[in-house]
Amino acid sequence: MAKQLGFYFDSSICVNCKVCQVACQDKNDLPPHLRWRRVLQYGGGDWLPHPSRPGLFIPNQVFSYAVSISCNHCEKPACVEVCPTGAMTKRSDGIVFVDQNNCIGCRYCEWACPYSAPQYNDIEGVMSKCNFCMDLIDKGEKPACVSACVMRALDFGDIEELRARYGNLAAIEPLPDASITSPALVITPHRHAQASGSGTGRVLNLPEEL
Amino acid sequence: MDTREWALVIFTILAQMSVGAFVILGIVHFFASREAGLEEADRLSTRALLAIGPTLALAGVASFFHLGNPINAPQAINNLATSWMSREIVLVIAFSGLGAVFAFMQWRKLASAAVRSTLAGVTAVVGLAMVYSMSQIYMLKTMPSWNSLATPLQFFVTTFLLGSLAVGAAFVANYAYVKRREPACAETQCSLLRSSVRWIALGSIVLLGIEMIAVPLQLAFLSASGVPQGAASVALMYNRYGVLLALRLAFAFVGAGIFALFLYRNSLTGGREQTLGALVYGAFTLVLAAEVLGRFIFYATHIKIGI
Repeated sequence: MAKQLGFYFDSSICVNCKVCQVACQDKNDLPPHLRWRRVLQYGGGDWLPHPSRPGLFIPNQVFSYAVSISCNHCEKPACVEVCPTGAMTKRSDGIVFVDQNNCIGCRYCEWACPYSAPQYNDIEGVMSKCNFCMDLIDKGEKPACVSACVMRALDFGDIEELRARYGNLAAIEPLPDASITSPALVITPHRHAQASGSGTGRVLNLPEEL
Repeated sequence: MDTREWALVIFTILAQMSVGAFVILGIVHFFASREAGLEEADRLSTRALLAIGPTLALAGVASFFHLGNPINAPQAINNLATSWMSREIVLVIAFSGLGAVFAFMQWRKLASAAVRSTLAGVTAVVGLAMVYSMSQIYMLKTMPSWNSLATPLQFFVTTFLLGSLAVGAAFVANYAYVKRREPACAETQCSLLRSSVRWIALGSIVLLGIEMIAVPLQLAFLSASGVPQGAASVALMYNRYGVLLALRLAFAFVGAGIFALFLYRNSLTGGREQTLGALVYGAFTLVLAAEVLGRFIFYATHIKIGI
């Protein structure tokens, strides 16, 4: 068994189709406003008027790329640390999940997590979050998002193996600095990826998509 | 802001006021018994002590409105090892329990005065630990506007400012009652009232000073820290809640500054009792409004680091 499961995401080939997000909602039977996996579009730059040809514009540092993000099943999970009930638990294989039978719905984990992985289910009054499809993992299968990705931009496995294969990058914009929670995440950056915290662009998703 | 966060405003303000009132009441009782004897000190403070109970109970009720699934509330003390919220809840329960036992003993004069004072001391320490644990809940790496020394400092200023003025207001109400029911004691009680209110007025001026230094420093620190979410919180405070922030500071200044100054003068020179009463009630109301506004802004302007 893996010591710490993690996700791999290849931003350089992701086409922002959001099938991972939809597969996750389908598999976990989530209402529309809960998205345990989200695809963020990050972009920036602007268009300058052409100096001699009125009506034409020249792209100036225009960029855009997608970041598919779920819970990172962090090595220092802030949600587990702050949860007063112990409902937020980390398994021996690193999976962080919430036991809704013990949750009081105080939403403290929501404040503590910089990835907004714990999401409040206002129908049941308790928290919900990505559990790495642990029912599938326990049967030796892949998480639904990884299976669904048409570009093969998502992968999962023991985080040390993922790092050996793909490197150590765990944060690009708009993700927070990896030192906060030590996420079990490896990213291959898009060619236009911006350093985490650089603030050179913004999240372009509609508010209702987040 | 929704019901949930209003519940937190009410819970934190009332719980902190209860702890502050308990501590200040203990200090006043100590000096009053040295000045006028134990019996008069008890007559001054016991009714005020009993009023803390309902205040704390109201805080407890409010805290439940912050939960999505209150059925599981007993589980909230499971994670004492790492969760400040668990610690806070245990300390709230401990403070309430010890305080209730002490109040009952004090009311019925059970056990010796020394035993009661020891119990009161332990209760006060537990209460202060509760306010500290409450402040640590907000020291999250993801929340720059909360994660600074200003949070515990503000929580303790609220505790003592509201606590002492609440005690002052309770004393005034108690004095009116004593004057009607036990006119023989009215003179001693009047002088005890004046001397305690004098110190309360002085204390609130000092606490106001701390608040007036801490608030702008915190805003400047957040703007200059280079963390965009911190600066965004300041922008939100200014753009959306600027009027409330100004009102909050003005209420605190008038209540704990100007009213307290007149209160100090009135109690020192033996001014009219009605004026003293009106000033104490006015100062308490204004400071309560100021602290509620301040706490509202605290909850309404946090902006999280990350996505």
